[in-house]
Amino acid sequence: MGTMLKLDKVTKIYPGTDFRAVDELSFELEEGEICILVGPSGCGKTTAMKMINRLHPVTSGKIYIDGQDVSSMDTIQLRRRIGYVIQNVGLFPNMTIAENISVIPNLLKWDKKKINERVHSLLEIVNLSAEEYRDRYPRELSGGQQQRIGVARGMAGDPPIMLMDEPFGAIDPINREHLQNEFLKIQEKVKKTIVFVTHDIDEAIKMGDKICLLQDGKLVQFASPEEMLTHPKNDFVRDFVGGDRTIKRLNLFSISKVMRDDPPLVQASAGLEEARSRLSEYGTDYLVVLDENGRLAGLAADEDLQKKGGAVADVVQSTRAYLDGTASLKEALSGLFTHDTGFLIVVDGDKKVTGWLDTNDIKKALKD
Amino acid sequence: MNSKVFFQIARKGLPAIVTVAVIIFLYKTYGAWEYTVENLPEFFKLTYEHLVLVLITMCFSISIGVTLGTLMTREGWEKISPVIMAVVNVWQSIPSLGVIALAYGILPMIGLSGIGLIPALIAIFTFSVAPVVRNTYAGIESVSSDIKEAATGMGMTKQQILFRIELPNALPIIMGGVRTSTALVVGTAPLAFLIGGGGLGFWIFTGIALVDMGIMTAGAVPVALIAMLFDFILEIVEKIIVSRGVQADEAQLAAL
Repeated sequence: MGTMLKLDKVTKIYPGTDFRAVDELSFELEEGEICILVGPSGCGKTTAMKMINRLHPVTSGKIYIDGQDVSSMDTIQLRRRIGYVIQNVGLFPNMTIAENISVIPNLLKWDKKKINERVHSLLEIVNLSAEEYRDRYPRELSGGQQQRIGVARGMAGDPPIMLMDEPFGAIDPINREHLQNEFLKIQEKVKKTIVFVTHDIDEAIKMGDKICLLQDGKLVQFASPEEMLTHPKNDFVRDFVGGDRTIKRLNLFSISKVMRDDPPLVQASAGLEEARSRLSEYGTDYLVVLDENGRLAGLAADEDLQKKGGAVADVVQSTRAYLDGTASLKEALSGLFTHDTGFLIVVDGDKKVTGWLDTNDIKKALKD
Repeated sequence: MNSKVFFQIARKGLPAIVTVAVIIFLYKTYGAWEYTVENLPEFFKLTYEHLVLVLITMCFSISIGVTLGTLMTREGWEKISPVIMAVVNVWQSIPSLGVIALAYGILPMIGLSGIGLIPALIAIFTFSVAPVVRNTYAGIESVSSDIKEAATGMGMTKQQILFRIELPNALPIIMGGVRTSTALVVGTAPLAFLIGGGGLGFWIFTGIALVDMGIMTAGAVPVALIAMLFDFILEIVEKIIVSRGVQADEAQLAAL
């Protein structure tokens, strides 16, 4: 994987001012990385991004895409090679969804059949049924759906680089979270090099491989989210990432990486006698009960297991103290405080139990 | 049949039924029908002149109006555009009869005849081009900057942005201007007779001069029908050329 995008002492001074909107900004991005430009409003993050596709001309410095100096390229050709997604989506109201997505392929003069297939597969990628949506118009879609189309449109020409200007900024928090997750899943598949502007540090930590924190046009720290949370360079970074740095780090770990794979299991068909011996073996207050297919059936509490005779199936209680392996440690911590089981069960998509974790595991993960 | 469908039909059908009733009533009451039948060749000649007048003026108004309105939104025109808009607005506030009179008075000063079809065309054109210019300008200006930024950022050329984004999205507003303009043309066209431009105005003004309601109605009713016909045609054209994504939808129309 080589360097896909390189900024070399890029400076922007708007004509008629001597204010340096962007001041000698330099960084490099590997192919397939997401770089988040973040900072307080007026820090120059949007200006920096728009210099990459030359919506703003640079005052001095160089920008290279795949080793090629962008200032030597034809503006129009350059822009067609860069996916562009803006905050207010900017879908063209006069065009259907399919037409919106095929704008760039059309400009690149792809043949009809290829464009059709591309539209179909992109709609699939962003989780909208092609049959249902391709001939609709933007105004017939919800804000979240429009934004997904915006992302699909940005990817349509299969650009090596995408620029995204607060793409989820105008969406309500619940849908934003959902779209972020979906976007990360899409990125797993497409592996684009992405420059992403946001003012939301939580979004930056969640989405970024690299975070580029700007203040007054100057680069303050360029680092991975983990690095930025554990080793903030100065007080500005510390303030910007916030006093809850440790909690934020929890977002960076998925529980499958932290969990232990030896949960206190018992089969629902097992006798209480056997269950009690298991319980003393593990030293927990509860046993995790599995049904005959190995799926999570519920929990059996210590006091219920003290009865004489019968099977675990008679005393099992349903539980919500479980999480999917892809959930973050933040969700795990929240779950641990919600349920008084002392541990959380980790399951896969099939509700098969894959592990468990408690607060000590979380502490350990943060220490490493 | 549910009430919504009924409402739709009533909204479209009722005016037509009422109009037909009024026409029959007028023709019968004043003897316009007999007059028209007796002078059928003249009726066709006048109607033909009238339609030519309207169509030629509309062609000029639309082509020149849309072009000028579009140019006014281009780079380099920022200073001139407000001036043009001011002129256009003032010009439109002059009564149509005044414009005809002005053509009669001013054209000879620049060496043209003040009498005949050409002065009539010029007069009606200058009067009717205003709404097209104004709506084209306003329509293109109203296309959101987000959309234009997206188009620019995606690598569209200025020309592509104009023809694929700006004009199609401004089209409902432009068409509004075209319909206003058509109404003005059709309404002003009878006045062309006053400076020798021909058309159905001949019968209207003759009728007025002779205090003969029959002759006047025989001219006035076809003028009204032509107005309605053009509006109807434009409505259909609008349905065809304006993208469904930017058309006012049925629910909005029903609320009007």
